[in-house]
Amino acid sequence: MTVLLEMRERLKLIYSKFGTFIVPVVKFLLAFIAFNTLNGRMGYMTQLDDISIVLIAALACSFLPVGIMVLLAAVFSLMHMYALSMEVALVGLCMYLIMYLLFFRFSPRDSLVVVFTPLLCAMKVPYVIPIVVGLVCVPSSMVSVGCGVAVFYLLEMVIESAPNIRTMSDEDALAKVRMMVENILENKAMLVIIVAFAITVLVVYLLRRLPINYAWTIAMIAGAMVNVVVLLIGDLLYEINLSVGSVLLGSLLAILVAKVIEFFRFCVDYGRTERVQFEDDEYYYYVKAIPKMTVNVSTRTVKRINSQRTREGAAGARGNASGQGSRPDARNVTMERTGPGQSRSSRAGGTQGRGERRSMTISNAADLQNDFDEEEEWP
Amino acid sequence: MLNEDRIILMTRMASYEQGEGRGNVKIGNYFRSDYITVQVLKSIICAIMAFFIVFGLYMLCNYEEFLKNLYQMDILAFAKDVLTYFCVGVGGYGLLTYIVCTWRYASAKRSLKQYYHNLKKLGSLYNE
Repeated sequence: MTVLLEMRERLKLIYSKFGTFIVPVVKFLLAFIAFNTLNGRMGYMTQLDDISIVLIAALACSFLPVGIMVLLAAVFSLMHMYALSMEVALVGLCMYLIMYLLFFRFSPRDSLVVVFTPLLCAMKVPYVIPIVVGLVCVPSSMVSVGCGVAVFYLLEMVIESAPNIRTMSDEDALAKVRMMVENILENKAMLVIIVAFAITVLVVYLLRRLPINYAWTIAMIAGAMVNVVVLLIGDLLYEINLSVGSVLLGSLLAILVAKVIEFFRFCVDYGRTERVQFEDDEYYYYVKAIPKMTVNVSTRTVKRINSQRTREGAAGARGNASGQGSRPDARNVTMERTGPGQSRSSRAGGTQGRGERRSMTISNAADLQNDFDEEEEWP
Repeated sequence: MLNEDRIILMTRMASYEQGEGRGNVKIGNYFRSDYITVQVLKSIICAIMAFFIVFGLYMLCNYEEFLKNLYQMDILAFAKDVLTYFCVGVGGYGLLTYIVCTWRYASAKRSLKQYYHNLKKLGSLYNE
């Protein structure tokens, strides 16, 4: 555990040091994966299915807000739909507009969830999303999760209907629209998953906020169980052909991912829980304080002790002239520190930077005084 | 001389100002009734637009059938149905917005109260 905690502290240090560069790189990678997945799965517009366009779009996303990533992903998907059929693009645009007008208003800050949900659904690990969102977001984020699921199923429907749509002629424009709308409305799997994920987000959020020991662990396990149960009930009611094995495995994976997130976000030591009680003029306080698990990262100190003769010629001659005899050798001790010790020193001192190299000469006081006198006398 | 309490308080407040505080300060600039009215109006406009999109899609899907039965159907009853759906949809969405915004305003005010309390505390730390 100590090793893991040390690793966490190191990662935190790295993030605090290079966060300015890490965040754009992560955004770039996420956007690149999202656009590439879209191109790989749809790819109807050959002009868009070009690595240079994906790279330019991902680069733009790396320094722009995450909302722009959502917008560009929507534009990418709409353009692919348009290349397939204008009517499909029209239905897609209507669906995006409805989602934007009605749902995003309540959770505008969860753009990342809207990107991650279809991406993880496409990677066949969708059950991670509701548990992680319940742990780190607020209940209104379930709207974003629902929108993400709806987007995934819309894209899946377009991909599945593509062969049929291609065989239809231009005169069948209304039939294409009707087919798309009916597919969306009759997709029970989408509805079941949206409901299951919304309930899971809510359950995980409510449980992890409870003032009980191991609240996060209880929340993630209970959330996974609720998710499985709701999905199975939905499967029984609407026959959505859900694979029980994949649901169970996905839920286990979700718990594992949630444990990793818990380690970084809520790593506390329940064994050292303290209950304190005090009062001020207005209130009585009953406080339960749970200490966080932290560990100091070990610092490396390199100590070099070298014997050397300093200013041997001149000082020796002057020392002899003043009748003090020859100066003893001075020891030069060089200390190099790495790690948080440095940051502490930089905070306390304010002038020492990181990666500093401290050097001092240890000698007796008389020698120091002599040095000072000699420097005064030198021209 | 560095004052640790002051630094901790200022760090917390700066983090609040840059995070959720930014939105809360915006909300706090409104009176309760003004904030809720503006948000409900925005929601109603959004809901009207969404309704027309859904209605347009519905008409597109049932275009042929609608034209076929145009002279036999009771247009007034159809319009009445559409109007009922419109009122229920837009009204329901407006009501939902009202509930969410009331809760949001209350929680924003609560957190701003705490922020101003911290601000006062910081001032008193400077006067010590």
